[in-house]
Amino acid sequence: MKRKLSDSGLENEHPAVSTPKRPRVQPKGVLKNGHAPNHPPAADDATYELPSAPNGQSTPKKANGHETCSRPRRKPKSATAAATPSRLKNADRSAKKKSARVLFEQNEDREWDGSEQLAAEILQDDDPQVDKAGDTVMETVEEGEATKPAGNDPKPAKRRAGRPKGAANKRSPTPEGELPAHERYFFQNRAGTAKTSNKNLNKVSLLTHEEYFEKLGQYVDPCKDEKEYLLSLHHRSFPQWFFEFEEGFNICLFGYGSKRRLVQQFADWIYSRSMSASANPPAIIIVNGYAPGITIRSIFATIASAILGDELPSKLGSQPTEVLELLQSALKSRPEHHPITVLINSVDAPSLRRAANQALLGRLAATPRIRLLLTADTPNFPVMWDISLRDQFNLVFHDSTTFFPFAVESDIVEEVHELLGRKGRRVGGKEGVGFVLKSLPENARNLYRLLLTEVITVMDDGHQSDDEAAEGGAGDKTGENNGIEFRLLYQKATEEFIASSEMMFRTLLKEFHDHQMITSRMDPSGMEILGVPLSRDEMEGVLEDLVLG
Amino acid sequence: MDPDGLEEALDLSRDRSQYQGVYIYQPAKPGKSANEPPKKRRKVSSTGAQDPKSDSQHFIPLLNGEESAEGVQQRLNTYKQLWSEQEQKIQGILEDVDAGVLTDVLSFVRETSPQTCNGCIPTALVTVGSNVSSLSRLLSRLNDHLTSSGEGGVVVLESGDATNLKNSLKNVIRAAVTNTEGNDGYQKFLTDRTGPRVLGYDLDLLNDYVQRKGTKKLVIALRDSEAFDPALLTDLLSLFQSWLDRIPFTILLGISTSVELFETRLPRSCVSLLQGKHFEVQDAGNCVDRIYEALQTNPNGKLWIGRNITSTLFERASDYFQTPEAFSRMVKYACMSHFFANPLSALLGDSKRPELFQGRFIEAIRNLPSFRMYCEDLVEAGSPMEVRNLLENDRHLLGEVFNHLEIGQQRMRDIFQAVTLIHACLQHTQGTKKSTVSDLSVRALAGELGESQVVDDMLATVRAMDSEKLEGVLATLPAALSNDSTLAELKADFGTLLETCPDQEPLRSEYNINSSVTKTTVVQQRIQLSKGKANLSGQDLEYTKIIDRLVAALQEYFTEILIRPQELFMHEAFLFDLRNPLKDNFAPRPRFAIERAMGSPFDYLISSSDADQGQAKISSKQPAAAILYQLYLESGALVNVHDLWQAFLAVFESEEGKKCDERIVMALFYGALSDLKMFGMVKNASRKKADHLAKSAWLGL
Repeated sequence: MKRKLSDSGLENEHPAVSTPKRPRVQPKGVLKNGHAPNHPPAADDATYELPSAPNGQSTPKKANGHETCSRPRRKPKSATAAATPSRLKNADRSAKKKSARVLFEQNEDREWDGSEQLAAEILQDDDPQVDKAGDTVMETVEEGEATKPAGNDPKPAKRRAGRPKGAANKRSPTPEGELPAHERYFFQNRAGTAKTSNKNLNKVSLLTHEEYFEKLGQYVDPCKDEKEYLLSLHHRSFPQWFFEFEEGFNICLFGYGSKRRLVQQFADWIYSRSMSASANPPAIIIVNGYAPGITIRSIFATIASAILGDELPSKLGSQPTEVLELLQSALKSRPEHHPITVLINSVDAPSLRRAANQALLGRLAATPRIRLLLTADTPNFPVMWDISLRDQFNLVFHDSTTFFPFAVESDIVEEVHELLGRKGRRVGGKEGVGFVLKSLPENARNLYRLLLTEVITVMDDGHQSDDEAAEGGAGDKTGENNGIEFRLLYQKATEEFIASSEMMFRTLLKEFHDHQMITSRMDPSGMEILGVPLSRDEMEGVLEDLVLG
Repeated sequence: MDPDGLEEALDLSRDRSQYQGVYIYQPAKPGKSANEPPKKRRKVSSTGAQDPKSDSQHFIPLLNGEESAEGVQQRLNTYKQLWSEQEQKIQGILEDVDAGVLTDVLSFVRETSPQTCNGCIPTALVTVGSNVSSLSRLLSRLNDHLTSSGEGGVVVLESGDATNLKNSLKNVIRAAVTNTEGNDGYQKFLTDRTGPRVLGYDLDLLNDYVQRKGTKKLVIALRDSEAFDPALLTDLLSLFQSWLDRIPFTILLGISTSVELFETRLPRSCVSLLQGKHFEVQDAGNCVDRIYEALQTNPNGKLWIGRNITSTLFERASDYFQTPEAFSRMVKYACMSHFFANPLSALLGDSKRPELFQGRFIEAIRNLPSFRMYCEDLVEAGSPMEVRNLLENDRHLLGEVFNHLEIGQQRMRDIFQAVTLIHACLQHTQGTKKSTVSDLSVRALAGELGESQVVDDMLATVRAMDSEKLEGVLATLPAALSNDSTLAELKADFGTLLETCPDQEPLRSEYNINSSVTKTTVVQQRIQLSKGKANLSGQDLEYTKIIDRLVAALQEYFTEILIRPQELFMHEAFLFDLRNPLKDNFAPRPRFAIERAMGSPFDYLISSSDADQGQAKISSKQPAAAILYQLYLESGALVNVHDLWQAFLAVFESEEGKKCDERIVMALFYGALSDLKMFGMVKNASRKKADHLAKSAWLGL
């Protein structure tokens, strides 16, 4: 590791050193082409750079320049290629092959890697002196190599002097210079295997809901005052927003952070404002788009009830359109009714996001005397609306970054576990599985015991068989990844008189499936593998309870 | 554990209704409205108009809150007056633009019937192109015409409402009935029927309604006909056709691609049911230009929008197919911003009482860049006493301000008159590329028009004009120019010249292309082209002289008129040219905002306490999501969650040392990770490798 660190530190310094090679070599190639285009110059290491030089030229990666790290090491080999002039043609061919390989490998080497960059920076931070020394060492090495061709072309030295100091060290996810968007995309999204470690989260015990909330309660936010100040800045826009409402615009708030509090305070502000002005309570409807059960019809129905009050017909239509038309005609027939303010939190939440819902909301927004304030949390929410919908919404956008956590908007623990692919585990857990098993018949319990035993055996076997993969195999400590083949389990089950027919066996398994106590996947050969969504410790615990109970 | 802290951290303390999907707002503090009756009952009776005083409350006093209440009120009133005038003008233009198509469609609807169409459904095909909003305007106006004359009505069926045949029929019938009877009428109509109960989608209902009302025309408009399911559309149309002898249907199809494309989507049998006519709606761009021209060249204009805004407006209009309504809304917003946030806008009001403008207001004027410029000019011109007077005497300053306001506004009007003049003259050129008023305005507002090629082109055009065209141009010359004595003289001379040569042939100047003769000579085997003047008659020479005089006068006029508006004293009051509120509020960059908030959170979280927050380093002082996002940016396409978590933890450990609680940090990590997931930046990649995430969003893309 230590070696790697220093290595990458050098690499980091390298690109600027490598760049001068390009101009140095190219004129030479042109020169030779005039005489014998197929003959490589004997014992000239520069030939190997010839193909590689144009490679990086047009791509932005050149700026980062990790590609050259392996180059010096290869050079001695290349010198032998042209040792015998009689086999010049052969050598030429193999040289071509080799340079093609170099090209190819370089491409892999060039993989931009955050860790190397990071390491380079760490190295620099630790001891700039060492780094500088490394730099000069590298330069002298390069100097030695460059001396031969330098006789032909004195330019490189000049170039080197002119390189911007430290330009290559800049850690940045984007390369130097202004790239067009598509280039940036390809730069950031290069193909190839990214080097990531094999560590996994099995040793880290994940948070439960209870622990999450408990720990979050203990956290003291260092930016609390700043966030409050930011919120107070947004408060100052309330009169402006209200003016925009008055002039027939609808408002959309976007930016990072939960805007629920802001919306709530805006509602308070409107309320107190109109109370002081006319003593009439304004009609304000608040919609929480993130609530899972929300329907567009319920929004319309609530608005209709706010307009009509007691006159609300007992039977509203089942279609949202009918309710919408009812409220529109109700508003139309009551020209003196003051405007209805509808504040919608998280309009881009999954339940409201659908195109049909947005179209209906657009029609609501286009209704006179309906004032709509939307908040949107995701970065790409404007794609929900096409031009005609945008036209109906008639929105004015305001950046209301608040930095407040999305505590209510999303079920954080659940989301993270889903993201990590550990959703099933939490639902059941050891206790859950035990509880379900208690309510199942004897046969089912026996089958589950069998399954657990088999899975644990498979896990133990896996460890013994490949020692060298112990590190990598440690990642599969769950019963989910290790499993037993369906047929095998059936066989064992019949042997133990748990299930007499496959039909019965499947019925028992279905029960487990329904309670998410079992996982099933196809292995590459097409066999069904059954597993248990529990960690090994948990499995052992359940097994113990089963055997003892 | 502190329960209050937890509540605060989770923001739970405020309201308990957060998990409720939708609810009617109740004030948080019950004390405020404790003596009020319950809301619902109250609302029904609360029909009283709002207190007129409350109107101005959404205008906050500016100038650090020291603006007088009257000033605030004046700003609001001036805005309302100004915009209502502008709005009328825009409405007029829109109506005018639509008028052609409307009369065509209306006469089509009135004149055709199934009998004239050989038993087919009369169909109007309206192609709208980019002008998406025009069809809704057209339909609502058509509906007004038909309902007011009692002939029938228009039923709009949206593709979203037409999920299946039953639903679409039900919607059509309900919309047709409610259009004239209202919602209650529809309910009554459903229940008050004799005989067996009919379901809501039975066309018998519609038949009954048509018989009762004596409807002659029932227009079914499919606004976005391409979005309909073709099978459904076929069913609908064949059903309509079979009822055609009882219900007088007319179909109106809005088409945004082309009629041919639309036709190919329908089966032949369906197409053969329709017979009709094709209508085309004018393009939106033209409409936008006309609106802009009307607003800016208004001879009574008080406020102009500047060059930055103009270019922003037209950029959007052309890039996003903006509708004319959206365009005028943006102009409205610009106008709103001016009156909302600029205290000087009060000067545009009717009341010029000096009491309105005192104290801070005067101070603000003295700090204007244009005031300083004006003073510098005065000093250079050798009148320092005047400057002193302006600086010390409020009353004098105010007088000058009003004076210059008047002058400045007149200059602006002159500028736009010159623009229209140039535009009118350029219409006579042969070239294909013609500058629009908006192009010219942008240049004029930047003060570049006077030196630009456009003016030379325009003068060249004038030179080449024959006497007939010139006559037209002279008649349209702006007042500022035509009242000039030289021009009057010129006009008189021109008149007498025309009288002396009453023959049909118009007079040409020597600059006209027809008056020059191309000679071809062969010199040393090469062809030489040389232009010579054709023999001009005496009258033509006379005419040329007049043209020369006119061109000279125009040149003089342009150099005088086409100044930079930003150089006018008090231009801040009558020229609004701040690009920013407009651009940000109408073309937001939400993704950039989020990336910025997470990439450099202290752009938003301004703090006075910490000095080291300026630097871009990741620190535990930053919000958790920002830390995680920055770590995320450093990683490749695949991210190992464990390593990410370790790196995240390290940020906290390195700064807080021993006292940092790993589980708390993990809670923060959870929150941050869930944010990233919500933003669509990461997704599960465990299939590739255990506990890995795939990056799915890239910075700045």
